[in-house]
Amino acid sequence: MADNKERNDDVIADLNNIDLGNVSELKNERMPRRFQRRRQSQFVPDYIDWKDVDFLKRFTPERGKVLPRRISQISAKDQRRVAKAIKRARSMALIPFVTD
Amino acid sequence: MAAKRVYEVMYIGAPETADEDITKLNEAIQQLVEKEGGTVVKTEEMGRRKLAYPIQKKTEGHYTLFEIEGSGQEIAELERRFRVNDAVIRFITVRVDEERKTAAKLTAKRENRQGRRRDASSNFNNNQKDEAQDNQ
Repeated sequence: MADNKERNDDVIADLNNIDLGNVSELKNERMPRRFQRRRQSQFVPDYIDWKDVDFLKRFTPERGKVLPRRISQISAKDQRRVAKAIKRARSMALIPFVTD
Repeated sequence: MAAKRVYEVMYIGAPETADEDITKLNEAIQQLVEKEGGTVVKTEEMGRRKLAYPIQKKTEGHYTLFEIEGSGQEIAELERRFRVNDAVIRFITVRVDEERKTAAKLTAKRENRQGRRRDASSNFNNNQKDEAQDNQ
């Protein structure tokens, strides 16, 4: 009997340890996942050329959408200018509207 | 007289038109613009390019870019002709003089600021170089 009790105590201690570990892991899982939200702020030239496909491609990732400002990290003014240039280039079929 | 405006006009020619016809069309455009009182500052044939998406079931096109200076009257006439012409599958006109002006202003401002900074830092670097030579 005494042996059994000791064993039980050991088991309980083990359980406690395990539980503690699990709880902290769960906490980690619940934490909001922060992927890389920001990119390093790009250099935006004074004159944004709507024909410069290579430059505009940097602001239109795979799908072809305009990179949001919270990720591109450029100023609101620059973002508007970039967006406008993208739209002009799109209408001339220089860059796609969407890529599936 | 109102100040001259600068436009960028780009059009996509249908892929089946021959290269000579495109050149001919470009010459005709230049004549038209001059007749209407504008000047063609630059003509750039960008050649055949793949379209990013099909237009009128075409996947390629002849791209041509003009830079035109004038009052805006010639642009109206040019656009009307583009609309009528079947060889033109898409065109765009962008007025660039104002944006260029603000961009030039910004550049000038930045260079002014950086120039001052560079002067200071280059002096510093030169001093360091001098010291290094002295040490040798």
